[in-house]
Amino acid sequence: MNTIEQCSYMTHGAVMPFCKGCGHSNILKKLNDALGLLQIDPHDVCLVTDIGCIGLADALFDKVHTVHTTHGRSTGFATGIAVADKVLASGKLKTIVLIGDGGSMIGLLHIVNAALMNVDVTVIVANNFLFGMTGGQTSSLTPEHFNTITSPFGSMNPSLDICSIADASKAGFIARKTATDKDLTETISNAIAFNGFSIVEVLELCTEHGTKRNDIKGNMLVKMAEEEGHTVGQIKNSDSRAEFSKKYHTDVHAHKGEIKALKYINPAYEHTLKFPKEIIISGSAGERVQSTAAMFAEAALMCGLEVTQKNDNPVTQGSGFSLSEVIISPGEINFTGVSSADFVVAVSENGLKEIKAQDIFNRINEKTIFIIDESLNIEKKGLNIITLPLRRLCGGDKAAIGAVDYILMHYDILDHNAFKLLLEKRFGTYDKIFKEEFYKL
Amino acid sequence: MNTETKKLALRSGNQMTAEGAIKAGCKFFAGYPITPASGIYKGLIDLLPLNNGIAISSPDEISALAYCVGASMRGVKAMTATSGPGWALMIETVQYALITETPVVISVVQRLGPCTGGATQGAQGDILITEFATSGGYTIPVIYPSTAKECYEMTIEAFNWAEKYRTPVVLLSDKEIGMTTESVDYSKLKISATVHRHLISENDADFNNWKMYGFDSPEMIAKFAPVGSKVKVTATGSAHNTKGSLKKNDPETLAVLKHLEEKIQAYRDEMVLVKEDHEEGSDNLLISFGITARTMKDSVKKIRKQGKKISSLTIFSMFPVPDKAILKAAEGCKNIFIAEENFSGQYRMIIEPLLKNYNVLGINKLGAMITPDEITERIMNL
Repeated sequence: MNTIEQCSYMTHGAVMPFCKGCGHSNILKKLNDALGLLQIDPHDVCLVTDIGCIGLADALFDKVHTVHTTHGRSTGFATGIAVADKVLASGKLKTIVLIGDGGSMIGLLHIVNAALMNVDVTVIVANNFLFGMTGGQTSSLTPEHFNTITSPFGSMNPSLDICSIADASKAGFIARKTATDKDLTETISNAIAFNGFSIVEVLELCTEHGTKRNDIKGNMLVKMAEEEGHTVGQIKNSDSRAEFSKKYHTDVHAHKGEIKALKYINPAYEHTLKFPKEIIISGSAGERVQSTAAMFAEAALMCGLEVTQKNDNPVTQGSGFSLSEVIISPGEINFTGVSSADFVVAVSENGLKEIKAQDIFNRINEKTIFIIDESLNIEKKGLNIITLPLRRLCGGDKAAIGAVDYILMHYDILDHNAFKLLLEKRFGTYDKIFKEEFYKL
Repeated sequence: MNTETKKLALRSGNQMTAEGAIKAGCKFFAGYPITPASGIYKGLIDLLPLNNGIAISSPDEISALAYCVGASMRGVKAMTATSGPGWALMIETVQYALITETPVVISVVQRLGPCTGGATQGAQGDILITEFATSGGYTIPVIYPSTAKECYEMTIEAFNWAEKYRTPVVLLSDKEIGMTTESVDYSKLKISATVHRHLISENDADFNNWKMYGFDSPEMIAKFAPVGSKVKVTATGSAHNTKGSLKKNDPETLAVLKHLEEKIQAYRDEMVLVKEDHEEGSDNLLISFGITARTMKDSVKKIRKQGKKISSLTIFSMFPVPDKAILKAAEGCKNIFIAEENFSGQYRMIIEPLLKNYNVLGINKLGAMITPDEITERIMNL
């Protein structure tokens, strides 16, 4: 423990690269002190710094891990580091983000999500109300009427209350302090020690750009924040939510058995196919078109055939048409598109419409067999159309299954028993799946 | 029929990518839904908890990749999956992975662009944006399988490359490969040994000379230090020296920036994944990749059946460009056809300068798969 006690996390004799009077120097010193207070092994600390003046901090901390990131994204990288550490590694790492007011708005989503996840990350927002490094431009945390070089008549918008955002994101530890607060070390150390997401916004002055354009001193920061309607001090400190990895382990442990391992298919059936067969099945969403195609594909696989299956549906998925293209072949299938269908099935108006829309009449041959429900009408001459009472005898939800079953009953493609077996697994005794009349078709 | 050893299943390219990732030792996945890549997300949400890993949902694609890079910095193999619109958002972060030399795999399952384009339409239009995503024009290794089986095998390869060369690797795919289900015989998978990045330890003999981004020759790749280990990490996305300290206009920093590319170039001859189907005496070479490479196979059969000689080359390792393999396949030919499902001939633009002595022709299509007949007719009618 000796080495840790003596350890200063910051480089001995480090020269702060900040302007005279800048609050950043103070924040970093307090961060160093806070780590000392907690006596954390430096190898268990990762400082993730954002872009901007506060992002220069990584060069000052030569004992701890430092990760200097892209603008606003620091909390995102920190989330990945913290989750990986807590779930997959030592679980001892304390991940601390140093971000400015500018970066906190670009990366707001990362902060919100880290808070929602309740990952063990501490975000310190060094808020000097403007973008300092780039010349003093307005940020989303600039108070209304505050002058910057891009708001010479005073900022037009009120400032974002990032602590309220954190609160709305269910963060457990929220504090808004000023850089000169005597208890800043304690607040930061409490935030780091907090097992879950914590955020400390530190109000401070940019002496290069902030004080020159505004009549403001350090002792006015609290009043300024309060005038904006922002609460100052310790806003929340509640560990009522479980830290992310704890919840993850509990949830995964509780549900592990629900995920089924992949089962291989036993090719126990026969086929007599010499050439590929192509089939298109169409109907309406929710009518088991794609699962029918999948069962047909599985039956083919059970017969030792090669298979491809492509599904198509509108982006809303649960409405309109549903269409599947299946190719089965005794040899390797390369091109996965149906170019000359052997069978085209349409069990509903939606399906038939899509057959027309996708110009499938140009992807058939003179032998193509159309299996359509009796409710449908294809006004095209010279086609081999078989009209069946599929919806009536099988129901809308099994009309596509009925159509495929009919094909396998009447045409020698693959062993019907393979398909039957799959039907029985899903719907019970084969003879009872459809109305009696169906089996006589 | 000997069925004893067969292990058959119906799997999509996306599912096989997810399973390949598990085999490769992937322990972390962060995903954001997007058609046609969501199957990988779902696959790993199911598989990772069973394999001592974790998959999480992210609020956007920027976070997804940032989470993965963070996890990889902690020392675990990480992956995300997206399509063109998500890739556009990830470009900043993939550059971060590149400059910090953090291994990570990004599966980009292409759909029709530009912009949100066509969510459920296939395309091969992201080849250039995938490769040329960095300021400075660094080589992002790109591997592009063409079948569900290859998705499994090449996901392992993508992880191996990422780990070995300390780089982000893109596993390119497309809607047709990702979402089409096909028969896969697991007993026939060719599974490469998995590679894990070399880690530095304070007990290593070379520890005193070790630097985060150190190298003394182009092919040297510094040992990796995970955040949280006993070796202090100094990582930065800004231009830095070998120690990871931010420096500008410094010769060492510029050397580090050059080395990012030089290390990939040093290994380009071992980063070659192609399949050649050579026909002696053929004047014609057909080149393709991804879904169109499958079409190409059917076309080659048809062309040969019609009495014309034709050779073909399937490219899996898109970048670094397998230049020697392409030139070798082209030897003795006159006409080189490059078939791809984009209208501008993106890969043709890349390899055309290599093929100055040949008649280079593009076979292109937008919005739908190129058919075997379309390729066949084009070549027969030359």
